[in-house]
Formats: sequence, structure tokens, C-alpha cells
Amino acid sequence: MIPKLCYFLKLLVFIILNNLILKLKLNIDGLLVYFPYDYIYPEQYSYMLELKRTLDAKGHGVLEMPSGTGKTISLLSLIVAYQKAYPLEVTKLVYCSRTVPEIEKVFNIIYIFITHCIINSYFKIAFQIHFSSVKYLSFLALRFGKEVDGKCHSLTASYIRAQHHSNPSQPVCQFYEEFDAVGRQVPIPPGIYNLDDLKDFGRRKGWCPYFLARYAILHANIVVYSYHYLLDPKIADLVSKELAKKSVVVFDEAHNIDNVCIDSMSVNITRRTLDRCQTNVETLQNTISRIKETDAAKLREEYSRLVEGLKEANVARETDMYLSNPVLPDEILQEAVPGSIRTAEHFVGFMKRFLEYLKARLRIHHVVQESAPQFLKDIYEKVCIDRKPLRFCAERLRSLLRTLEIADIADFSAITLISHFATLVSTYSKGFTIIIEPFEDRTPTIANPVLHFSCMDPSIAIKPVFGRFQSVIITSGTLSPLDIYPRILDFRPVTVASFTMTLARTCLCPLIVGRGNDQVAMTSKFETREDFAVIRNYGNLLLEMSAIVPDGIVAFFTSYIYMENIVASWYEQGILENIQRNKLIFIETQDAAETSMALEKYQEACENGRGAILLSVARGKVSEGIDFVHHYGRAVIMFGVPYVYTQSRILKARLEYLRDQFQIRENDFLTFDAMRHAAQCVGRAIRGKTDYGLMIFADKRYARADKRGKLPRWIQEHLTDGSLNLTIDETVQLGKHFLRQMAQPFRQEDQLGLSLLTLEQLQSEDMLQKIAQIAQQA
Amino acid sequence: MINQILPFLSVAMASLSEEVLLVVKRVRQRKQDGTLYLMAERIAWGPEGKDRFTVSHLYADIRCQKISPDGKAKIQLQLVLHTGESTTFHFSNESTALKDRDVAKELLQQLLPKFKKKANKELEEKNRMLQEDPVLFQLYKDLVVSQVISAEEFWANRLSLNSVEHSLSNNNKQEVGISAAFLADIRPQTDGCNGLRYNLTTDIIESIFRTYPTVKQKYAENVPHNMTEKEFWTRFFQSHYFHRDRINTGLQDIFSECAKEDEKGLKSMVTQGVKNPMVDLLSLEDKTLDEGYGTATVPTTSNSSNKSLRENSNSAIIKRFNHHSAMVLAAGLRKAEAPSDQASETSSTDGNSRDSDLFQPPLKKVKLQEAIEYDDLQGDSVRKTISLNLKKSDRYSHGPIPLQSQHYSTSQDIINSISIIQHEMRSYKPRLTQVMSSSAASSAITALSPGGVLMQGGGQQTINQLVPTDVQSELKHLYTAAGELLRHFWSCFPVSTPFLEEKVVKMKSNLEKFQMTKLRPFQEKIQRQYLSTNLTGHLEEMLQAAYNKFQAWQTRRMMRKT
Repeated sequence: MIPKLCYFLKLLVFIILNNLILKLKLNIDGLLVYFPYDYIYPEQYSYMLELKRTLDAKGHGVLEMPSGTGKTISLLSLIVAYQKAYPLEVTKLVYCSRTVPEIEKVFNIIYIFITHCIINSYFKIAFQIHFSSVKYLSFLALRFGKEVDGKCHSLTASYIRAQHHSNPSQPVCQFYEEFDAVGRQVPIPPGIYNLDDLKDFGRRKGWCPYFLARYAILHANIVVYSYHYLLDPKIADLVSKELAKKSVVVFDEAHNIDNVCIDSMSVNITRRTLDRCQTNVETLQNTISRIKETDAAKLREEYSRLVEGLKEANVARETDMYLSNPVLPDEILQEAVPGSIRTAEHFVGFMKRFLEYLKARLRIHHVVQESAPQFLKDIYEKVCIDRKPLRFCAERLRSLLRTLEIADIADFSAITLISHFATLVSTYSKGFTIIIEPFEDRTPTIANPVLHFSCMDPSIAIKPVFGRFQSVIITSGTLSPLDIYPRILDFRPVTVASFTMTLARTCLCPLIVGRGNDQVAMTSKFETREDFAVIRNYGNLLLEMSAIVPDGIVAFFTSYIYMENIVASWYEQGILENIQRNKLIFIETQDAAETSMALEKYQEACENGRGAILLSVARGKVSEGIDFVHHYGRAVIMFGVPYVYTQSRILKARLEYLRDQFQIRENDFLTFDAMRHAAQCVGRAIRGKTDYGLMIFADKRYARADKRGKLPRWIQEHLTDGSLNLTIDETVQLGKHFLRQMAQPFRQEDQLGLSLLTLEQLQSEDMLQKIAQIAQQA
Repeated sequence: MINQILPFLSVAMASLSEEVLLVVKRVRQRKQDGTLYLMAERIAWGPEGKDRFTVSHLYADIRCQKISPDGKAKIQLQLVLHTGESTTFHFSNESTALKDRDVAKELLQQLLPKFKKKANKELEEKNRMLQEDPVLFQLYKDLVVSQVISAEEFWANRLSLNSVEHSLSNNNKQEVGISAAFLADIRPQTDGCNGLRYNLTTDIIESIFRTYPTVKQKYAENVPHNMTEKEFWTRFFQSHYFHRDRINTGLQDIFSECAKEDEKGLKSMVTQGVKNPMVDLLSLEDKTLDEGYGTATVPTTSNSSNKSLRENSNSAIIKRFNHHSAMVLAAGLRKAEAPSDQASETSSTDGNSRDSDLFQPPLKKVKLQEAIEYDDLQGDSVRKTISLNLKKSDRYSHGPIPLQSQHYSTSQDIINSISIIQHEMRSYKPRLTQVMSSSAASSAITALSPGGVLMQGGGQQTINQLVPTDVQSELKHLYTAAGELLRHFWSCFPVSTPFLEEKVVKMKSNLEKFQMTKLRPFQEKIQRQYLSTNLTGHLEEMLQAAYNKFQAWQTRRMMRKT
């Protein structure tokens, strides 16, 4: 007994000592911040200072700091400390990230952080959630989100539960019943819960983890989830509606936030959607007539409810919501549903008319582009549909579906989509455009009509977030040029800052290759991209690099089709064969599973020393979500400037809108967009100060000031004038030199005092002065 | 001329049943005239007029031959043996001496290497071991050179130990991987008459087989009963299979099946999914947008009719490249993985190792951990932890508990006690008023550290401060030598064979010899230097223990005999 106790005691003391004594306690502008490491990067300190300032001012911030400099941990340390110091000022941290691995990473950092500060446990609960998966949990047997949603709804909808009361044989979800009975009263023990933990917890208690999670979000101190739960009004209304105003919202990896905003408000309608919608309408009609015979009172009741304007008489029935209203909360009309669609039959008739009109619109043979008011005018003239009933479409449909007690909501996704479109198009007169394309541009002979209802203005979706929460932080490794984000998202930040990476050795080497050895300009410009010489030079560049770079090389192309063409011609010219002598070749395909396989093999080949090349696409999944740390990416080659496909009508419409509304010139935006993707791609290889890698921009256009100036500052400052227009040979020489230097052992002592600080070093006067220069205010 | 009488001579040498390769007459050795014989396995010399050899060396024993430089009066050939001895032959036939010597030299030159390989391996091995291991070398000097034990005895169980290891490492030679470009190496050349010539080497064929097992299977099926090897490869190169931009292969093509197999392999690889969750692109996004929402143009049903032929062939090339690289990688790994698999299997069959498997953190956690770690922010204090590899976890957690003690504490007790401690630690407040000042504390520490006020006088000084270094190193050598001898000695027990009996007796005498010739002089030396005499006490104890054991064994043997 005694020795065992001693053993535990020793262990415990060891853990406590380890945590208490060795970690940093920082003084950030008068705020005590626990930092769970022994050392700190200067830029982290600077970042925390700026962040503190933003929180103090209760304003929004745009902060750019290179990845791999511990952005997340700085954010967490500071905000949590702030929360502890001023519990009434900041009640909650809502941390949004983009990809699932990213969310998991953040969550694990929280874990480290909190276990290290165990003594000062000032946490109640932290949560990591991604919803679509949460729903999987209650029905483990089913795999697809939609099916689960439908199944879940069929067991938990309010009328089902009501039926259960009178008729116990009606199946209901035990998990939900249990949760509903006791779950809300019993507090969840403090701790850190990720999805699996929550699932476990739910299983032990017999509570439904999905509803448990939704409930717990309101009480957690830290919530980590993905963008959509805040930005997509359909989901945000369910999940994030009741988040406290005094929350700090962080959007990490926010360089693409405008696209997420736009995506959440846009709708595409194809002929297939309309066909499915047609069957939905028919089902509705049949159900209505059946119910009319059996239970006419129910319909009457609904009617009278709608007359009184009690759209949501039983709002509290959380389980009935499938997708909420697609428009933002402040746009939803707070009045009674208009008479023309109040009765069920009338509404179905109304939907039928609307459907027929859409079908007619899709039958055209030429491209049509119009604004929402034009569309509304046309629909009024053609089929006499008013604007007002259209606005109520989504609400009305939801009410109807509930009244009809249709359990399997998943089947009605098509008509839901159409009703959302109706509501959106009649609510917003600005910031949206309708484009009807009868065929794809590449295949003009095959009729495939699509109606794009496309959002032009990202600020629409994000506006309520900025309005509601006192501090919103937008941060990423690549946000340059910093001033453009406040403009396109339409908000006034109190701090805009870019931080460089302090380096003890220049571990990144950006080079711009403008010419081949034959002096032919290298560029992916549209006019010359099919040029034989350009393709050959690109091939030679890759070949030469494959001979000098150890382990992994990642090469990015501007588009998938361009990559296919280049790979084919490299194959014909025998360049690929020669590359194969040096390294294995893996290529991204449009199929995600296949690419995952290639990616894993690529890493395997890097791991076992064989070395490999991954050919990939900018804007593709790989470029957005996969890191190539250390030997997984010793060189990144960016073939061409990754401009978006400019012939797309949606893009053209958006550019026009940007020009008219925000005074951003088309070219500026295109270049900005291309450069942020290029920076994303090349930034994939550098994930920390001990990492190193070559960044090769293979296009002469990068040398121009307007392109170069839009790269993040931490890349720009290592781009010397001498490396702006290199030939392949020069690149090889510089690369060889760089790699040889970097391969030398790099120890912690080399960094200490320069790019890595102890507490004493941090407190010295001249270091604080140096740190003040790290942040560059835009 | 001499060569012609050779057969007769060999018959005349009755004692000889070996084949004689060369006979040279009139060769002097130690100022005696005689005849030099080069035979299949040895070189021999017999004096004139006698039918026996006074000199005879196996080729295997010869390290090298040396010849006198041209122009010297005496034309000689010297054989240097591995033992260091040498034998010199003087060719004294005036007219043909030079030629005789050269013939002999040439023949030796051809013969020696053959035997060298065989014989020298062991010797080289011994040599290598001695060079690599200074302790062993010292031991060898102490025991063999000073003739405590013989060289054979010394090596007896060393080599056997080592040779196993050695042969293992020989078998486990690293597999050579496959060049990814092996198909590119088959450069087709036009042969001038409207044909192509492919150069195939066995290496390339091997590569093809290893990378594409289906081709190997086809080969086994068809060659040689259906077609010749040449025909097979001709068809292979003609086949679209070889050309990666193939889209459809004809039915008559024997390789169409291979293509299909490959396709299947690729598909299964894809459906298998990836082990590393960090690269799984499918689960990258928390997909919340339903179909129909968003601006991303939904990939319209990408049926192949939609695409042009060219696009199709392009994507086929890309697929082939991915597949090819994966196959090459797999071929390289296949061999390497086999033994490790076996190892893991054996470890898991012994029953207890499951525990240790359980303690391995899942891959996902590891990868995540890697992704969020900052090595450089972490201080040195945080060492890399090594995961505890337990064979029996309960033994670890309960520890060796005396059997009679029946009082186990339940896990609840433990948890309670932990929580109590935790609670106490949480509410722990140092009573800062009652601690001594830092200056007092530091002076106390200095006083207590070596050299401080309190540490002087009466402290036990360690041996390395008392004894000069040369004595120390000598003592070390003695210890290793004694250890080696004792190891030999104890390894004889239990004495089960007559051979071991013999050995144990010998080892005992060896130990005594060691004590007499090595230990005693050392003790005397120490005494002369007035050092503490207890240095060798332990050594003597060890020897005494061995003697006791020997005594006990001997008496028991006597008992049994009587």
C-alpha cells in the first residue's frame, strides 16, 4: 500500500512541477497570460499584444501571421486569459476553422493548453463540434447525413412524440426522450469534450449526443466548429442563434472566407432538381387530399394559426427544424402569411405555378443574366406571382410539412431548395444575380440548363456576425493585401496587422523563374500556355529540381485541365520518364478517394527516402487542406499564376458588382485572388521555423510589382531583387546552395534570443523594441 | 621438357594421390637441392633423392607470395604464411630458372585467390572482431598471448556466437528497390528496316515482374508452351498495355486481362482508403451544404461520352502514373515488410503482448500530435517519452508483492487516495513566512556540496581519487579477463557430457593459472605501492566461488563413482 501511494505521489508531484514551474507566465499589457511552453516566439508576443488591443476596444481585427508560428496557441492563451480576467466582458470564445483536420488540431491544442494549466482550472467546458457528423451518432448504422437526418426526424418530430403519448407502440428515439426528460437540468461536468467524448458521454447517460451538443454550445466557454455554423443562415439559426453577444469569434484560415459566405447564400437549380420537385409537389397534393378526407380539422387549425400570424406557434419544438430559413434573421418578415398561400391547396397550387415558370425559364437556348427585381417583374407578368407570397415560401413549406406530418424530410430536399430560392430571390434586391445557362461552355451541343442564383456580395452573409458579436477576429497565414478584406466584407476593423516570421536562418527561399535556359519566357498566360517551348521549359525545371531536391517536391498547376494537358505532353516528350529516374510521380485527380491514395503513397515514398513528386492543382483540395511539413515538401513549384477561370459568367457578374459597389477594379481583385491562392500553395511547405523549403514561382509575371506586392509580407521580405527573373540554371544553382545550407544541423541554441525567447529575454528592453517592429499596421 | 616427364614422377611418388599440376626440378630450399611440386591443394618440396616432402603448405595457409626483383642474381620465390612464417625457394637451374619461377608464380597466382576466400573468411572475421572491439583485444592479449588459454578455446564460443549473427546479416542483405524509370530504360531503337529493337536485360525483366505481378503470371502461363520468350516480349511491347495512354485493349491481346487486373487493383487500393486520417481528402470538409446550394459548379454527370477522346487518354495517363508509382513503391516495400510482419505476429502469439499493443496510441492521435507540436518552443526538460512496453501490465502496476501479504488495496482506494492528494495539492499553500531566506539556503547548499565546510574530513573518498589511473586500467583488464574465464567456466555447468567435464577441469586449471600469473603479481604491485589491498578482494571472491563450485562438483562426482 505504502510504496504504491508513494509512487503515485511522486508521479503527481512530477506532473505538477512540470506544469507549474517550467511554463511561461507572460505579462501582456497588464494581463496575466499562461503560455503552455517554455519558450515563445517574438511574433507570438506581438500577436497577443495586438489581439489584446482589439479585445480592449471591443472591435474587430484582421491579423496575418505565417502558419507554423503558433498562431492558434497565442490566440487561445490570450483570449482565455482575457476571459478569466474579465469574465463579464468576454463570456465565450467561438473558434471557427475550415477543415475537419484543422478543427481537430485546434481542439488538441486546447487540450494541451488546459492540461498544462490544470491548477488554474478556470474552464467549464470546451467543445469541438462538427454537426453533420454529430447526427451520425444517433444512428450509427446509417452512413449518409441525409438519411440520418430523415431517420432522426421521423423519430423525434413533435407530432410523433405526441402520438407516442397516446399510443406507446409508436417508436420514438429513446436517446432524445431521455435527454428531453433530464438532460437540460443536469449540468455537464466541466471538461473538454470532442465529438467522441460527447458521444461517450451521451451513451453513458442515454442522451442523444446531437441535441446534447446543441444544448451544450450555449454553456461552453470555448466552442470550436466550422464556418458554416455561423455563416450559413440555414444552419446558424439552429445552432448559433442564442450565442451570447459578448463572445469573441475567431475565423482561422480565413483567407477564403468570402467564398464561404457566397456559397452559403447561393442556389443552383438544374432540370433534375425541377423534376424531383415535381414529384414532391405531387406527393404533397396526394397527402393533402388524403388528410382532407380523414382529418380536415388539422388543416383548418393550421390555416387559423397562419391567419393569426403565429407562424411558429410551437417554436420550442427544436426537433422539427431541418433547415431553417435561408435568409438572415433580420430580413425575415414578422407578419402573417399572405392569404393567397394560406390554405394548403392554394400553396401547393402556388408552388406548381412557380415550378412551371422555372421550367419554362430553363427551356431557353441562350444565356440570360438578370437581377432579382427583373426576375420578379418577369414572374409577375408571366404567371402573376407576387413578391410577398414568394418571400413566405420557405416558412410556409415548413409549416405545411409539419402539418402533414411528413416524417421523412430528406425526400423533400428538392422542393425545399426551390422554396429557399423563392424566398431569397424575393428578399434581396441587391447583391445577387440570376444566370441561366442552357449548356456548359465546353459542351455547347449537350443541353444541360442550369439556373444559378448567385450571391455577389460576401458581406451579406457575414454582416449579422459582425453586428452581433463584440469582437470578430479574422486571421490566417495569407491575408495580404490586408486592406481588401475589410472592403469586401464591409466592416471596420480596429486593428489590421501583418506579422513577419522572425528567423534565425532564412529557411524559406522564394525564387521567381521567368525564363528557360533558352531564354524563352516562362508563363502560363493564356496566349502562350500551349506553346511547346513553355511546356518543355516547365518540364525541364521540374526535371532539374527533381535531381537536386531531397525527398518531396510538390508542384501546383493553375487548373486541372492545364495540368492534364501538360502531363500528356511531358509524357510524349519523355520528360516524365527522365523525372522518374529521380523520383516517383504522383498526380492529383478529380476523384478525391484516388487523390487520397496518391497522397498517402507520396508521403510513404518521402518517408522511406525514395523521394516523390506530387503534381497538384491550385484551388484543389490538396492545396487547401494538406500540409507538406519537413521532408514531405522540400520544394514547392508554382507553375503559372493561378487566376480563376475568367470566362465564367458568375465571376464576371461578381467582378462587375465589386467594381460598382466597392470600387475594386476587376484586375485588382483577380490578381488578389490569384496571389492568395499562390501564397496558400507555396505556404504549404513551410510549417514552422525548423522547417525549410524552396518556393519556386515559375512565371515571369510574378516579378511584376503588382503581383509581388500582393504576396504576404513574410514571403515578400525574402524575395531579393536578384531572384526576380532567373533562368532554370540559375534556379538550380541557388536551390542547391540553399538546400546545402539548410541541411546543416539546426539546434535550439541557434534560435535562442533571435527567433525564440525565454522569459528573461522577452523582458529585456531592446527586445521589446524589436518586437514592436514585427507587427506592421496596414 | 620437364613438363613431359611429369606423369611419371607423379606415379613414382607413391604416397601421393593428388593431382600434380606442376613440377619444377632443381629448386633449392635451405641450401638443399630438391624438387618443387604444385598440387591441387598444396605446394610441397622434397629434397633430392628422397620420396617424402620436407616442406608442405596448404594453399589456404599461404597469405602471399613474393618474388625477387628482376636482375638479382638469385632467382627466388618466397611464400609468406598467415602464421607469419615464410619459406623461400631458390630456383637454381641456370638456363631456365627465370622461366621456371615465372611458371610457378603464374600458377600460384591463379590458385591462391581461390583458397584465400575460403580460408581467410574465418581469420578475417577474427581479425575484424579484435580490431573492432578493444576490450576483446585486450582480453585476447591477456589470455591467449600470455598463454592462459589457447586460441582455439578463446574463439570456441565467440565465433559461434558471432557467426549466427553474421550469417543472418548476410541473408538479410538490403533489397534493392526498383527504378521508377525502368520502362523508360528500354529505349526502342529503330533497326533500319522499319522495325524497333527493344533492349531487355534480366534486370528489367525482373523489375517488370516485380512491379506487375500479373505480367509475371501471364509469363508463367504462356512461356514456353504457348510461345517462346521472345514472342512473349514482342507481344508485350506491341500491346497497348505497355503504352500507358491505352484506352481500350483488343480482346485478342493477352495483356488485356492484365490491364483489367490493374484497374481492379487500383480500384481496391482506392476503396481501401487511407490509413492516415490527415491526408484523407474525403473527410476533409465538414460538409454541410446540401446539393444545389453554393456556387461551385456541380460536376455534371461526368460520363465519358461527355469528354473528348483526348481528355480521356490524358486522364488515363495520369491514372497509369499513379498506379505505376504505387506499384513500384509497393514492390520495394514488399520484401522489407515480410520479416517485420512475422516479428509482430510472433510477439502477439506469446499471449501477453496484447497489453503492449493496447498502449500504442492510435495513428490519428499520433498524427495530430505531430501536427501541432512545436519542438523548439518545448524546453529540454520535456524529454521525448518512450512508451512503456509492458509484457504483463498487472505485474507492473502491482509490483513484486510478498506472497503472504493478502492485503490488496482496491482500485477505489487508489483513486480515493489520489483525489485526496490532488485536493491537498490544490489547496497547498507554502507557508512563506516560515521558510528561510534565500541567502541562508544557498549558503547551506554550498556548505553541503563537495568541498564545502561540512563535507570535509572523514568522507569516503572514491576509488578513482585514490588509485592512480594505470592501476585502475590494469584492474579493469583483470576484471574483464577474469570475467571471460569465469564465463567459460560457468558455462560448463551443468556438466552433462564428457567433453564438458574435460573442459571444466581445464578451465579450473586455467583459473588457477590466471590467479598465479596475473592476479598475484598485481597484488604484490599494489602492496609495493602501499595502496589499500582490498582492491582485488572481489576478484578473489569470484575465483573462490568458482573453486568452491568445482570442489562441490568434484566431490559429488567422486561420490557417484564410488
